[in-house]
Amino acid sequence: MTARPTHIGAQVARVEDDRLLSGGARFAADIALPGMVEAAFYRSPLPHARIVGVGAGDALEIPGAFGPFTAGDMTDVSPYPDFDEHARPVGIFPLARERVRYAGAPIAVMVADDRYRAEDACDLLDVDLDPLDPVVTTDAALAPGAPLLYPDWPDNVVIGFPVDNPDANAEFDGRMAVSGRYEVGRHTGVPMETRGVVAEFREGRLTVWSSTQFPHIARTMLSYCLPLDENDIRVIVPDVGGGFGVKAEFYPEEVTIPWLALRLGRPVRWIEDRREHLLATCHARDLVLDLEAAVDEDGRFRAVRGMAVQDLGAAEMYPFGYSPAFTAIGHITGPYRIPHQSVGLLAVATNKTPCGAYRGFGIPEATFAIERLMDKAADRLGIGRNEIRRRNLIGQGDIPYTTSAGAIVDSGSHREAFEETVRVTAERVEHWRAVLGDDPGIRVGSGVVNYIEGVTPTYFMTTGHWTAYDSCSVRVNPDGTAVVSVGVSTSGQGLESMLTTLTAEALGVRRDQVRVVMGDTDRTPYGLGSWGSRSTNVASGALRIASDRLLEKATRIAAHLLEASPEDIEAHDGALSVRGSPGASVTWQQVATAANIRTVDLPEGVEPGLEAAATYEPPGIEHVPDEYGRVNAAATYTNASHAAVVSVDTGTGQVRMLEYIVAHDCGTVINPQIVRGQVVGGVAQGIGGALLEQLHYDEWGNPQSTSFLDYHLPGATEIPTMQVLHFESPAPAMPWGAKGAGEAGIIGPGPAIAAAVEDALSGMGVAEITRTPITAPYVLSLLPTP
Amino acid sequence: MKPPPFLYARPESLDGVLRLLAENGGDARVLAGGQSLVPLLNFRLARPEILVDIAMVDELSHLTIEDGGLRIGASVTQRAVETSAEVARLCPLLSKALPLVGHLQNRARGTVVGSIAHADPSAELPAVALVLGATMTVRSASGDRSIPAEDFFLGPFTTALEPDEILVEVRFPGKPSARTAVKEIAPRSGDFAIAGVAGRLTTAADGAVQDVALALFGVGAVPQRLPEVERLAAGENVTPELLDEVARITRATARSGSEDVHADPAYRARVAGELVRRVVEEMAA
Repeated sequence: MTARPTHIGAQVARVEDDRLLSGGARFAADIALPGMVEAAFYRSPLPHARIVGVGAGDALEIPGAFGPFTAGDMTDVSPYPDFDEHARPVGIFPLARERVRYAGAPIAVMVADDRYRAEDACDLLDVDLDPLDPVVTTDAALAPGAPLLYPDWPDNVVIGFPVDNPDANAEFDGRMAVSGRYEVGRHTGVPMETRGVVAEFREGRLTVWSSTQFPHIARTMLSYCLPLDENDIRVIVPDVGGGFGVKAEFYPEEVTIPWLALRLGRPVRWIEDRREHLLATCHARDLVLDLEAAVDEDGRFRAVRGMAVQDLGAAEMYPFGYSPAFTAIGHITGPYRIPHQSVGLLAVATNKTPCGAYRGFGIPEATFAIERLMDKAADRLGIGRNEIRRRNLIGQGDIPYTTSAGAIVDSGSHREAFEETVRVTAERVEHWRAVLGDDPGIRVGSGVVNYIEGVTPTYFMTTGHWTAYDSCSVRVNPDGTAVVSVGVSTSGQGLESMLTTLTAEALGVRRDQVRVVMGDTDRTPYGLGSWGSRSTNVASGALRIASDRLLEKATRIAAHLLEASPEDIEAHDGALSVRGSPGASVTWQQVATAANIRTVDLPEGVEPGLEAAATYEPPGIEHVPDEYGRVNAAATYTNASHAAVVSVDTGTGQVRMLEYIVAHDCGTVINPQIVRGQVVGGVAQGIGGALLEQLHYDEWGNPQSTSFLDYHLPGATEIPTMQVLHFESPAPAMPWGAKGAGEAGIIGPGPAIAAAVEDALSGMGVAEITRTPITAPYVLSLLPTP
Repeated sequence: MKPPPFLYARPESLDGVLRLLAENGGDARVLAGGQSLVPLLNFRLARPEILVDIAMVDELSHLTIEDGGLRIGASVTQRAVETSAEVARLCPLLSKALPLVGHLQNRARGTVVGSIAHADPSAELPAVALVLGATMTVRSASGDRSIPAEDFFLGPFTTALEPDEILVEVRFPGKPSARTAVKEIAPRSGDFAIAGVAGRLTTAADGAVQDVALALFGVGAVPQRLPEVERLAAGENVTPELLDEVARITRATARSGSEDVHADPAYRARVAGELVRRVVEEMAA
């Protein structure tokens, strides 16, 4: 029994937009409780220091101020468990104990009646820090005799994963080797809404409102850290103004604020300001990939080998900050037939803000390296940059294709998307060369790149938890409306709409009969949250199973009411009808009434109620890499080809984005508007990382990008016209054939723009572009001095 | 990012402003559009005891023409100047430079005089004042004085203003016969400039350069005139060779001290040369 596919792929408005776009949303900062106080953190001004003492100073002269509270007061708090036995234990504690390892680390917290006074009080604290030598780069951290961030360790390495694969090494015998050192800058997600936590402890129960991407994981972590059972904790996710991965970390403030609520017996609110956000929300990327390829004379890649070195910052971040580096080596060959790889990683602690998750999660880094190396090999061999890709790309005949990283590419349009992108890009370059051709100082160029992206991944590499599942519960009310509650939660990306559509599809109810419940541990089944481009797949997998169970029961009830056979019942448009007899029909309201409040109408043997729950573990996922780093860590793989068309001002080095082309394949498209929005938004963020965004530190470890004056996000004026071409290669093993679309857009811009800038400057003797962001000074430094 | 406590006063006369400045000396700050001062307060980088808001002072709200030039009072917004037809006629360089100042929302509140008094080394308007030979009218409880633009900017965020003084207006001489241009390099639309140049040029009947003034901004600690370049170009026809020389001398003489996360001094000097070349070429065309 399947419902008619009436909703998949339909152009429909997002159900959450009324609320989000008209001021009706309620964010953490909108929550105000009786008797609530506000908190402000005293954060380390030094990158590396021993904490000698924290005194109140004159802080308590501020009216209504309490504190300071420090790690020493948190005697009933446990550090985060260290879940990964392969990594050195960091033992994260909510407020710094004995030592601070990055500027911005929370040392103490003050509360007052409002944030102004709480900050005034922090200003007056008497904090005595004894500076220690800072470690600012991975080279410095790895140097013999380097100062240690964790004095019990022999060095500053958090985790090392050396790989030496003899099959890969053998490919280098007698072949041309092409190598490079590729560096993706330090940047981060910067959602429009910063983080926020509100906590209240009443009648023995703690309620925490947090702008997190994983409420259930947050509750579990809270129960590890606080002297409370999970039953005594409720985590609620209010409306969230963007996450992009940075809210899929469990932060010190998420323990400290609830602890304060317990300690003070008053509700406590903390809303991160933008300066804190740039200091204390996780940073990302900051990965260097040394990569070497063995290449045949005809341009075919035979093997890649090298090392990824991740600057983790202070390493005090959970889920692990080194997980993106593992994902990078898992994607290092992209969609290319490269039989062998031998790429290891090293994650190193430095005195900078800890790194964590950000949209793309290692794949932008891997794609930057392999695509740059592809361009370099093409140039070296005198093969066109598109042609060399054509010779290496996997095609339909290769699928399912197991990459040398162990990823099982289940489906895709790798060659088709690429050729279409090449075709469209050539037209657009011709257009722009004609438009701008009369200025000899302005040169136009383009670059086309490809990638695959594992979506719906294991949680093991990120958290140490051996799982990838999620959950769903569906209930039909007596009036025929359906309530769907899921373990994933939303940050504004459209999950309510996706689940509304899929529920309507699965049950045959109308979209306006569906209500989606997310982000409340008391009202939803346990789940792992929203990250890894997984939410649609895992939630819909569980939804599919639950709704099939529920529909089977509803069908039996409808058949009984209609005196028909269950095999002849089909559900659509809010009704259950006898196939071929349009008049013979009952509404979901009639069925649900029978199930809930008129059970005398139920057929014999059918239990009352109309509700089903299910969990879904995506098939085929492996959790742990083998000794060569091979692991099929994701349930399915998207693909895309990206092209940037840019102009470069040769007198100033300024790069202008002229146009961007994406051919994107995330399997079955459930909601075209949402997929397009995800792709366009991802590309915009990717352009930011490629051209503008960098979290700078000076040579002593002092952060230099602590406001939007110095951290440059792209604005509307920096984002060009985009063409988004959709390909649909359904994932064979996924419910509805869909693949995640949340992260893909951000992966391509770095290497596409780098290639486009090189292309624009071809013939000018420009050296290879090996790092992002590609700023005007960087570009000009590649050009000959006048 | 909340400001420390401060007192706030909004006098309705210039005398009231001057009295508050005299009473509080260095502890008072004048608040005009607040586009620079308010962020400094929120970062607790500025901690004045008292803010003196001049929004209600009628005597500072004038945008008038006198002796063929402009008088711009301290509370006149950048947007008002940007959209004024009189300004475009008398001082087109101001009209050209203002769209580069922040974003429209900033210019709707920010003031021309406030930007000049703030003396951010990467701001456009101090360089425009320098190139146009503007005069600062400064007042305190003890009287008036006039300061030419060339003597006004002493260092980054530092001017010849005394703590008890207010810059009541800036006078721009009108030179509608000159050609003007302004160009800058900024990471994004609306950002402070990494490097920029404002210029004014008149030509003789034969097309040769008669008189030229050029000022860099964003490159060094204060807006910088380029006397060697100006002398070189005077009397010359603008040829590719002259433009190369103009760029070379600019690179060599730019006091390129500014270094931040966006660019080093070498980039600023190199781009300053390129921008001066483009500005001179455009003005001579």
